Parts: sequence; structure tokens; C-alpha cells
Amino acid sequence: MREQICKLVAEKLPELAGVVALRQTAVGTAPYLFREGDDLSQLVLEPRYPLPSVVSMLQKRYPEARFGVVARGCDARALVEMAKRNQIDPERLYLVGFTCSAEQAAECYCAAPAPDTAGWPQAMVVGVPVAGAPPNPLVAQYEEMSLAERRAFWQQQFAKCIKCYGCRNICPECFCEACALEDPLWVEAGMLAPPFPMFHLVRAMHMASRCVACRQCELVCPAHIPLTVLYDLMRRDIGELLGYEPGADIAAAPPLSLTLADGMVHGQDQLL
Amino acid sequence: MTNSVPEFSAHTNCFLIIGSNTTEAHPLVASHVMEAQQRGAKVIVVDPRQTQMARLADLYLCPRPGTNVAWLNGLMHVIIAEGLQDASFVQERTEGYEELRQVVMTYPPEKVEEISGIPADDLRAAARLYAQHKPAAILYAMGITQHTTGTDNVKSCANLSMLTGNVGIAGGGVNPLRGQNNVQGACDLGGLPNVYPGYQAVTAPEVKEKFEQAWGVAGLDDQVGLTVTEMIEGAGQGNVRALYVMAENPLLSDPDINHVRHCLEQLDLLVVQDIFLTETAELAHVVLPATSFAEKDGTFTGTDRRVQRVQKAVEPLGESKPDWQIICELAQMMISGSRFQVPNLQPETWNYASPAEVMDEIAPVTPIYGGVSYERLEREGSLQWPVPTADHPGTPYLHKGKFSRGLGRFHAIHSQAAAELPDEAYPFTLTTGRLMFHFHTGTMTRRTEKLAQEVREAYVEMHPDDAARIGLDGAERVRVASRRGEIELAVRVTPAIRPGVVFIPFHFAEAAANVLTHAALDPDSGIPEFKVCAVQVEPVT
Repeated sequence: MREQICKLVAEKLPELAGVVALRQTAVGTAPYLFREGDDLSQLVLEPRYPLPSVVSMLQKRYPEARFGVVARGCDARALVEMAKRNQIDPERLYLVGFTCSAEQAAECYCAAPAPDTAGWPQAMVVGVPVAGAPPNPLVAQYEEMSLAERRAFWQQQFAKCIKCYGCRNICPECFCEACALEDPLWVEAGMLAPPFPMFHLVRAMHMASRCVACRQCELVCPAHIPLTVLYDLMRRDIGELLGYEPGADIAAAPPLSLTLADGMVHGQDQLL
Repeated sequence: MTNSVPEFSAHTNCFLIIGSNTTEAHPLVASHVMEAQQRGAKVIVVDPRQTQMARLADLYLCPRPGTNVAWLNGLMHVIIAEGLQDASFVQERTEGYEELRQVVMTYPPEKVEEISGIPADDLRAAARLYAQHKPAAILYAMGITQHTTGTDNVKSCANLSMLTGNVGIAGGGVNPLRGQNNVQGACDLGGLPNVYPGYQAVTAPEVKEKFEQAWGVAGLDDQVGLTVTEMIEGAGQGNVRALYVMAENPLLSDPDINHVRHCLEQLDLLVVQDIFLTETAELAHVVLPATSFAEKDGTFTGTDRRVQRVQKAVEPLGESKPDWQIICELAQMMISGSRFQVPNLQPETWNYASPAEVMDEIAPVTPIYGGVSYERLEREGSLQWPVPTADHPGTPYLHKGKFSRGLGRFHAIHSQAAAELPDEAYPFTLTTGRLMFHFHTGTMTRRTEKLAQEVREAYVEMHPDDAARIGLDGAERVRVASRRGEIELAVRVTPAIRPGVVFIPFHFAEAAANVLTHAALDPDSGIPEFKVCAVQVEPVT
């Protein structure tokens, strides 16, 4: 798999400003912009780390350049939602997709462990797609709880939060320059744990119609808070109520996005 | 630490966390504790403040500051009275049990309640929880050490751990959580007045000879030097005339800083080497610009004796240089200047191409680092000392099967009061500490807007009963005074602190808690009693 990806990257590099991927050296592994002539034997696929935010930063800094990115299924979904919100330009991005293994999919409770390139201007996928994994069993357990039990569950979980902002910082869909979580209007500053439930529920609301289930927030959480239980149910509701699946279709307009035009607020229904 | 941080999540079944605001001051250690809680591990927190860790605990005990020996003796009283000690461990691995037993049996829970304020039944519950969930780890921080009885407190923790057979096993032990990334490494490599690298005594003739040979010199000093607090005092008395301060900001971090300023002003020469112009650097005659962690190569040794590489990510800014280069260049200048006292020293002895070469000098003369090399660190990620030889795997936990002195020695210790207790004039006990959002004297974190946005200024925490007692009546600022000085700052009224106790984080120069603190020292370690002094509080209207 890695060799195939390196070959593809090597073929594409002459026509690109560079390809974003993970690079492993004696120092460690970190995101890196591989350019023509770089040592591709240092390109690695593990550990799982989200690259879409790096792509966004590079495209904004170099508005003419065309880049490539080595992306898993969740990375590709994240890029789709970022494209809809003007955070990346798909016309200037070559997607080198690769499939996750069945083990990786099971670890992530991932329903779609291969990049879906339909609608991408330029893309290629390496590897054979595996079937989606079963959902997180904690979601079913949670749904067995009464409302009071659910409240107690989250109260207990969020009491562990050390307000490191890791969930927000790792999230490819959290790109606002001014963050509501840092605004004392919504979340009283300097408190540990941050006040229940505002810090986490403000973030959860902002994730509705955006969360692509990459599970990075849960993976990085030092307090081991099962954040994706909240986000999985939010995704399901968005699907059932609004018929929208974040990250699936690059052409579908996000249902909760609003635009301002002619001094008026416009939602999806007015736009379509 | 006797044990390792990853053992907490993997093995520990009970945590006794004393004087450690773990989630704020050691969040990554807290992460392992929380992971252990998910598989059912019990947590007991003992602290005069109900910290986040205390709220997450199964049992929270709220003692009067400065009563650690009393309640630890009380805990051992319950364990022995109820037969919960590890009799075979005590029999086979320890000595001095009888003396310990006689002392702790004079600390029944009801008496401990009078001294410490911890309800007798809570103490019994804690003793049972700790003794009946093996392996049990004691975690502590400055709430144990920063007392005039700091050494007694540490010995009492060791007594408790040995009494229950929790030493020398994975997930148990006595685990001081160290405050900086490399404070362990600084101590390991001789940054103390009484030892060479690897805790080898400067007073031992064979050690002196070994280092004279290794460095090709004669006449190394065999006298114990001064501790940090003694140096400051010495400056004030004129016995110390020059001071070279690296990466430390005593004008904010030492107790009684009005006095510290007076002492530093008496120096003929003050040199400060830091990455920012600290409060101390502002007083200096010479400031040497050092590099930050991201601009240098080397190793950091963490709290669990773990030696790890730090790799340079960016080139040093401006004229700054890594500390080791500055020290070497200075040494070479001093030697060439011919004023230096040690005979036979040649400037080229202070020539190293890289920190790896420094490690190559450390390993052969430092038995606990004997097998450490950059090549191994880069291959294996980290090494935990003692790692005596190149093929030794390192030591995740200490004292397995045998103590370094043979048998583990119990210390029978009686409780002693703190040096300055509240009285009519100064009716509150001040205790100091840290916050999640700032680090130490704020040299780095208070220059960061995102962190300032979380906590912008100093404040004092006070119980609602005390707020009523001083007639706070909605006032937002107070004046806090001790016998050393006074500061004015914001007040936060919270039930999460023991009545009679007030807390001030010490990060803030403009309302520095250490204007108030007391420079009474532990007679053995020389650590100041930052955690207890007497203050008065009045509203500012």
C-alpha cells in the first residue's frame, strides 16, 4: 500500500507544488509537504493524523498553488465539508486516497473506511475497500438510559474535562478565527472543568451537519471523554431530520449553513 | 518516583493523591488516573482545596494545611489496629516496625480529627480503601514537600507504602510528581549542593578522586555548597557576592520576595540566563539570552526517571544560544583569563561538538546513567534509570525484591505544627499553588494572549463563611497581608476550600503570593514552607 502511494505521489509531484503527507524521521512523525526530489521513503501512513487543516492552511497561504494530499476516508470526508465552507478549493487539490484496513475500521467504528472520490475533480484511490465496521456499542447503551441518567452520564464525563481545547484543535471542521468556546458570553473563562454543559454542548451544536466521524477528538482527549457518542447521535438526527450526511456528497448543500445576501438571511431552501 | 506513569493506567487499583492538584498541574498524569478509574480503580484525594481531582475522587479528605504527619500516622493507626498491614512484607523487607507502631498507635482517628480536622470515620474509610486495593500508589506534589516538616511528610508516605507492601511492585509506590519537564534531570546530574551526577556525595573521598581523574584536575571541593535559599540569604549577608541564575526567577518563586529583592541588590554581580527578561533579569548586571526548548538538542528526564531526547525544531533566534554552549564558552574564558583556581585546567576540556558528547562524558561516571547514549535513546525512545550498562533495559519501578540499603527502614515520626500558625492578628492560613493556564512564574505563559484570556490576573480563593466573617459584602477586591508584606488582588468566593484557609496562585508578579509567604525552611532539605503562613484579609472598598 505504502509503495503504491509513494509511486503515485512521485508521478504526480512534477505537476504539483507539493503533496501533504506524514513524514517519519529520527525526530518523529509529523505532517510534511513533500516536494519534487524529497525522499519519499520517509512518507508514512501511520499514526492516524488529520491532514485537511494543513491543506487548508497551505492553500490559503499560496492561493495559486495546486497541492496534493494523502488521505484516508475520514480525511476525504473532512475535505468535502471544508470545501463547502470555503476552507479548501477542490479544484486546486489532488486527492491521493487510500483505504483503511478492517482492523483500523473496527477501532474507529468507521462506517465508510475508504475515500469516496465521486465528485472530486482529481482523485485516485489506492487499496481495496473493506466493509464498514459496526457502530460504537456505547451509543446503544446510552440510548437505553433515561433522560436523567443521560444527564448524569454527561455531567460525570464532562467533569473530567481539563479544557485543553484538544478536541477543537484537532478537528478539521473547527476553523473559525473567533471561537465561541473562548467567548465569556458562552463559556465562563478559567474554570476547570469548564461550566457544564455549555463548553461541550456549544461545540456539539457547531458540529451538527459538519462532523464527519473521524473520531480524532475522542482519540486525543486526555480525559477519555467519549465525545463521539454525542456526535454520532447528532449525525443520525441530521440524517433523519434533514436528510444530510456530512462528508458524503460534495454537491449537497449543508442544511444548517446560512448566507447573508441583500441584507437578508438565506438558508438552504432559498438557495436551491 | 519509585514507579512509572504508565503503570498507573495499567496496574494501579487505588490512588492516594496528597497535595497535588493533578488535573491542573500534571494533566498527563491525571489522564492515566482517569483511565484507571474507567476500569474501577479507587481514588482518594487529600487537599485543603476541593480540586477537580478531588471532585472526581471516591473519597475526599480536607485537612488543615501542615498536618500531614498527623493524618498519615492516623491512617497507619487504623491499618495496624484493623490488621490490614502486609505482615510478610514488613517481616521480610523492613526494619524499625516496632518503633513505628508505638508512635502511630498514639494517633487514634479521634485525636487526628482534632489536629487535622479530618473526620475520624473518613480517615478510617481512607485507610481501608488504600490498604485493601493493591497495588496502591501514593502520588504527591508540593502539598507534601513545601513544609518545614517536608522531609517528615515524605518519610511518612514511605512508611505507609511499606506498611502495606506497596513498594517494589508495578502500579504501587511513592510517587512525587515533579514540577518541570527536566527538574528530575537537573537533580540527577548534580544540580544540588551536596552531590555529583548520579547522587554521588561530594564529601566522599573516593567520589572526589573519581571525578578528579575523569576531568583531569586536582583539588575538587569536598565541602557541601549552599541551597538556593541559603544563596539568597548569603547574598543579603555579603557572604555570596556573585550569583549566576539560569532559567529561574527567584524574584517571584522564592518565599518573602521583598527580602529576596533586598538580598539580590547587595550582590556585586548578578548574571541571569533566560529566554525572556524576567523580574529577576531586570535586576541583573548581565543578561545572557538562552534558547527555548524548541531551539535546542539534548535530553529531558521526566518525573518517572525517564530520559528522553529533545530535538531541535527551529534554529535559535537572535544571539541566543543553548545553555550548555553558554556555560562552556564562559568556562573557557574564565580559564584563559588565568584567574581560575583549579590547576591544570585547559580551555579545550570544555569543548563539545554536541550534547551527545556531553552524555558520553556523563555515562561513564554516573552509574544510574551508565547505559544511556543518544544512539540508544533515538532507537528505544526513552530509558528509565537506573540503567547501569549499555545492555540494561532500564528500571520501570524501584526496590523490587530489595532496597538499595538492604532493608527498608521505617521512621517513627511525631507530628509538628507549621512554623507560623494563624492568630488574632493574622487569622487565616495562606496556602499557595498553581493553575492550569499558567506555568510557574508566568515567564512564558503570561506572554500568551490565549492563556491570559483564561486567567488574566491574580486572585485569592476564600470560603463563603470567611467572606462573611471579614464583611466582604460583595466587594471584588481584597488586601491580603502577612508579617512580610501585603498585596491587593481580586477575590473568588468558593465553597471548594477549607474554612479558615485562603489560596493564592503564585504566577502573578503584580500581586505576588510570595510577598506574603514565610521563608521558614525544612531543616533537612532546606525547602521553604510555601504551603502555610498566617495572613489577614480585608475588603478594599
